[in-house]
Amino acid sequence: MAKKIILCRCEDVTLSDLEHTVAQGYCDIEEVKRYTGFGTGPCQGKECLGPIALQLARLTGAPPASLRPFTSRPPLSPTPLRLLANDPAAHRFADDPAAPAAPAAPAAPAASADAAATGGVPSKGS
Amino acid sequence: MRGFTGESVAAAALAGGAQVMSRSLKYHRPRSAFCLEGHCGGCLMRIEGIPNRRACQTPCHAGLRAESQNAFPSAELDVLGAVDFVFARGLDHHTLMTGSAIMNLMANRVVRQLSGLGTLPAVAASELPQVGEHHVDVAVIGGGAAGLCAARATAAAGARTLLIDDQLAFGGSLRADPRHGAPAADKAHAQAQAAGVTFLPRTTAIGYFPEDAGGVLVAASETQLHRVVAREWIWATGGYPVLLPVADNDRPSVLALRAAGRLLEEHGILAGGVICVLTHPRMREDAEATAAALRDAGAEVTVIPAAEAQAVLGRRGVRGVRLGDGRRVDCDTVLMASVPSPATEGARQQGCDVVLDETGGGFCLVVDEHGRTTVPHVWGCGDVCGYRGPGAAAAHGQAVGEHVARALASELSKAVP
Repeated sequence: MAKKIILCRCEDVTLSDLEHTVAQGYCDIEEVKRYTGFGTGPCQGKECLGPIALQLARLTGAPPASLRPFTSRPPLSPTPLRLLANDPAAHRFADDPAAPAAPAAPAAPAASADAAATGGVPSKGS
Repeated sequence: MRGFTGESVAAAALAGGAQVMSRSLKYHRPRSAFCLEGHCGGCLMRIEGIPNRRACQTPCHAGLRAESQNAFPSAELDVLGAVDFVFARGLDHHTLMTGSAIMNLMANRVVRQLSGLGTLPAVAASELPQVGEHHVDVAVIGGGAAGLCAARATAAAGARTLLIDDQLAFGGSLRADPRHGAPAADKAHAQAQAAGVTFLPRTTAIGYFPEDAGGVLVAASETQLHRVVAREWIWATGGYPVLLPVADNDRPSVLALRAAGRLLEEHGILAGGVICVLTHPRMREDAEATAAALRDAGAEVTVIPAAEAQAVLGRRGVRGVRLGDGRRVDCDTVLMASVPSPATEGARQQGCDVVLDETGGGFCLVVDEHGRTTVPHVWGCGDVCGYRGPGAAAAHGQAVGEHVARALASELSKAVP
């Protein structure tokens, strides 16, 4: 039977994955995130950061208060790219020669402008 | 599928008996709604041709098209689900050490097809909406018990107050708790409205950008982006229901305790006929309150300490729970009463300190007795500072809102001599 104790549903990270990761010597939350991919799915760690940190403290014997969370990055929630394509902040940089080139006019949106974005989840493209 | 207009697609699907809504990313394990609060990623579906939409935050209307994603030929019967059995002991994607050269070859060939979530929409976006701008005295993030009470307090003191909430209706976990319910949530919302609070409903704070004009919070609804600038910030984002560490804890029909409470209080839907509630010791009282309401509604409910449970039985649904002592409890639904994990990711982007604390549910926002975080002009109240439950969160929100109003008044009197 495929019995698994799931800690991170988005990336299918299990308790045995975490034990394996600690055995490899990765005991810091940022390291564990990079090794297992936990916290990089649609929920961006909402469901798994706390439970994995508590399990990590238990497995390594580190005092809970000594563990730091991974860096929180936008977008915090799945966001349609279409909404970001018309940000006036992007246009403000248009006059700044040091800034990257202004985005293309919104008249011809990219084909993927309706895809949802969160950090680290590639969408299967067509 | 039948549903009521305005009811969430996920609630209608659960009421209609749909079990599997999607498949997981790696092992293609059957998945369904878990939290019903828009956070867990369990109910992501292709809705009206757009992938990865949260079925629990999308209201029904006649003719709405909802399809499962990430599965072939369907979420109910996904042939890729074989991956879960082939790699029964897990699959390390760094080395793909499966113990067999043939397996490694197969894994490498199929891994590209297995990864990713959903497929792109068939047509490009037709319009790009304008961005909303908001300049206020106080921005409150989260419209649950704590946020509504804090916003009411600052608005009542005369501060221009904006409240951002991501749920289908205001009230947060009040709506999921039979001791409070929808009437309490509606009352708290009406009181905040009467005090003069401005609302951004169904809008999620997606990031704080400190480098942009003194700091801008960006929030997104389904249709529009908003930029918010405030003098004072109050995080009242509560906590997220999480899984308890039991084998096969991710099965469809394993729901958060609050999800079952929400289905019952909000939609009049009974999560199951025979229900087993697994509870963390800290959540015993909450679990018993919801169990009593479910029993009143006709369900058979057993409450078991989570530490006694070993595994959830069933694959595309739940058949029972195996206990550590070998006994088996038959049921069709499992509820998980875990300590909600504080939603600190937005406050962390503002630089606020957090501390890991098991009784608080995870990384808790650090605040002083007035609700001040470690960053000036940033405050926190309610479950985001560690779980306390909707009743205590409301009182905390009220108190912190009053402190924020006083701090703002003294700041303004200094600015205008």
